[in-house]
Amino acid sequence: MKQQRVYIQAATHISIQSPLNEDWMQTPIQYQRSFIRSIEPNFRDFISPIEARRIGRLQKRALTTSLAVIHQSKIEHPDAIITGTGLGCIENTELFLKDMCSQGEHLLKPTPFIQSTHNTISSLIAIYTQTHSYNVTYSHRNISFECALYDAILQFRLQKINSALVGSHDELTPSWYQLLKKVGYSGNPSAEASVSFMLTPERNNSWCELGGIKVLHQPSIEILKLSLGKLLADNGLNLSDIDAVITGINGNQATDLPTIQVCKQLFGQTSFLHYKHLFGDSYSASGLGLYSAACCLKYQFIPSTLYYMETENQIDNPRNIMFFGQSDYKDYSLILLKSSCGK
Amino acid sequence: MKEPIYITGAGIVSAIGLNKAEVLDSLRQHRTGIGSLQYLQSEHTELPVGEVKLSNEKMKSILKISESIPPTRTSLMGIMAIKEALNEAGIVPSSTQCIGFVSGTTVGGMDMTEQHYLDFFEKNDFDHFITSHDCGACTQTIADYFGHFSYVTSISTACSSAANAIILGAELIESEELDIVIVGGSESLTKYHLNGFNTLMILDHEQCRPFDATRSGLNLGEGAAYLILEKASSAKRRKAKAIGTLSGYGNACDAFHQTASSQNGEGAFRAMNKALQSAGLQTNDIQYINAHGTGTTNNDMSESIAIKRLFGDILPPISSTKSYTGHTTSASGSIEAVICLLAMIYQFLPTNLNWKYPMPEGIVPNMNDYSNNELKHVLCNSFGFGGNDSSLLLSKPINR
Repeated sequence: MKQQRVYIQAATHISIQSPLNEDWMQTPIQYQRSFIRSIEPNFRDFISPIEARRIGRLQKRALTTSLAVIHQSKIEHPDAIITGTGLGCIENTELFLKDMCSQGEHLLKPTPFIQSTHNTISSLIAIYTQTHSYNVTYSHRNISFECALYDAILQFRLQKINSALVGSHDELTPSWYQLLKKVGYSGNPSAEASVSFMLTPERNNSWCELGGIKVLHQPSIEILKLSLGKLLADNGLNLSDIDAVITGINGNQATDLPTIQVCKQLFGQTSFLHYKHLFGDSYSASGLGLYSAACCLKYQFIPSTLYYMETENQIDNPRNIMFFGQSDYKDYSLILLKSSCGK
Repeated sequence: MKEPIYITGAGIVSAIGLNKAEVLDSLRQHRTGIGSLQYLQSEHTELPVGEVKLSNEKMKSILKISESIPPTRTSLMGIMAIKEALNEAGIVPSSTQCIGFVSGTTVGGMDMTEQHYLDFFEKNDFDHFITSHDCGACTQTIADYFGHFSYVTSISTACSSAANAIILGAELIESEELDIVIVGGSESLTKYHLNGFNTLMILDHEQCRPFDATRSGLNLGEGAAYLILEKASSAKRRKAKAIGTLSGYGNACDAFHQTASSQNGEGAFRAMNKALQSAGLQTNDIQYINAHGTGTTNNDMSESIAIKRLFGDILPPISSTKSYTGHTTSASGSIEAVICLLAMIYQFLPTNLNWKYPMPEGIVPNMNDYSNNELKHVLCNSFGFGGNDSSLLLSKPINR
């Protein structure tokens, strides 16, 4: 099938780094805590006070990052609004659950329930921007974002859309953090993430090109190698053209080592980058990983803090960065980003 | 011309039957599955529901799942329905095939979370249910039971989740990513959403009456249904028989309100229109519409208007089968798709149970068992909270 080119036209984040900007590239905020909530911008710059009062924290963040990329790209009504969220609106979910479990089933209020459904985020964006186009939400653990992005790329290839707003949004409450920690699911640090991207087939003014994506369930190393080879071939690239690989290692040695091992098998000697030490881990962290890589291509500069080891080969003017993600060692993702600067 | 997408297998678990044969019999005998609460431990015993008539323990024993791993009800029902679908398609998942699995759910593992939420913080006995809480975990449990899927994901768009899973499956095949995709949804009843819908005051305390002037809400149901979508050339190569084709689909957003549908049914209109356009068909090619038809004042009015806007004065037979199954929320898109397939295979019309009085400006639902016209193409509507509206266009396979 003919490859429809797809570019990142705009991207932004609300996370534990300075929100809605790229300050993290020069002056990253360092933390010494294991659970950190996002730094919030002034929502009223984007959302009317009435609306802001009505909606939950995660919805506010998601709407703000979405509106920011809508403004940046000047695409008011994208042809697709696709969201990934691992836990959905867990704050409202817990509000309703706590009330139901402690007070019984006769005094419950509807608002937390209404705002607890996973698709509240994507539909809120549609309602706020009056966008009637394709609208869908993925909720599949750590690859929720990748699944959302994959859907967008399929639709570009099928020539069904000319623009897509793809986002990944997760919040974490202190109580749910406590539970995740108990079952060994917490990253170091555990955090929250809201990331939005506007994708179009327009190269002009873009941050970088999205060369393609592979999302694979329980692949053997051979299948991973084949998929990587196909992704590179589709883009006329060789393995040696990949300047750096950005991975979702999160400081947990037990899970990081096997990830690095697979990466080395796949990519051999290349520069490895990481991002969760800056942005923390969450079900939506991979969105921040891709965003970080896109920033490096946009600004043609890889901040030293992103290199996994001090000994990594430092890259000037990066051309191609591969995102490598994994979830529970079951689902793996490869996303190729190519510079759209210069020729 | 694009290659057709065949449906080579289908499986269903619902309040009106644990497989297609039982569901077919209930539909033809006008037998509802909605009744008093038996399995869900809720204080709201006054609310009629469409429960799957099996305990989790019974499902585990049918599926030979050991007691040591307690899967959620959503996963158990999902496994049962997929087994039936794979069996019909003649597929045994193996490492040599690339099969995708796309599942729709919203409550996920909430049925167990809500039983143990307070325990989670005080005891360690129920920690398994912390990890099985999210949508993805439920899909993963189903995937693990069968093994060997090459792409697995979960879609959560409330009551249109399964329909959107079917749409993604079609796109994966059209873009030549996969030849075979298992698509559908599973959703167990939970106190969580029973109470949620109850606080919204949209649950009928009687049997629901979709499109009736006296309708006063929906009855919740539960269940699972999955289709095997397969590229026509793959089915032919395997000599697998098509039980239907997915000719078109549409997803649109009403962009009106988180829990209410717009008065002019914009999202529904767009979804149905997209489904027709993508199939290259006209309204007069459609012989039956399985409506979303929840039985709420708002949905049935909005959907009636959307259908009339699109179809004009000449409407095909329309019915809601939620008066049989209850509103199975995230599973409803695939449960009703299976009902549509049964209607085309056995050439009968599902009736709209409990309908008596026409609603002003509303559609008059079908009460006949048979159509004057052969059922060749049918529309199946699923509309979710947030205005996530989707419509599927299913067709009878052309004789080969």
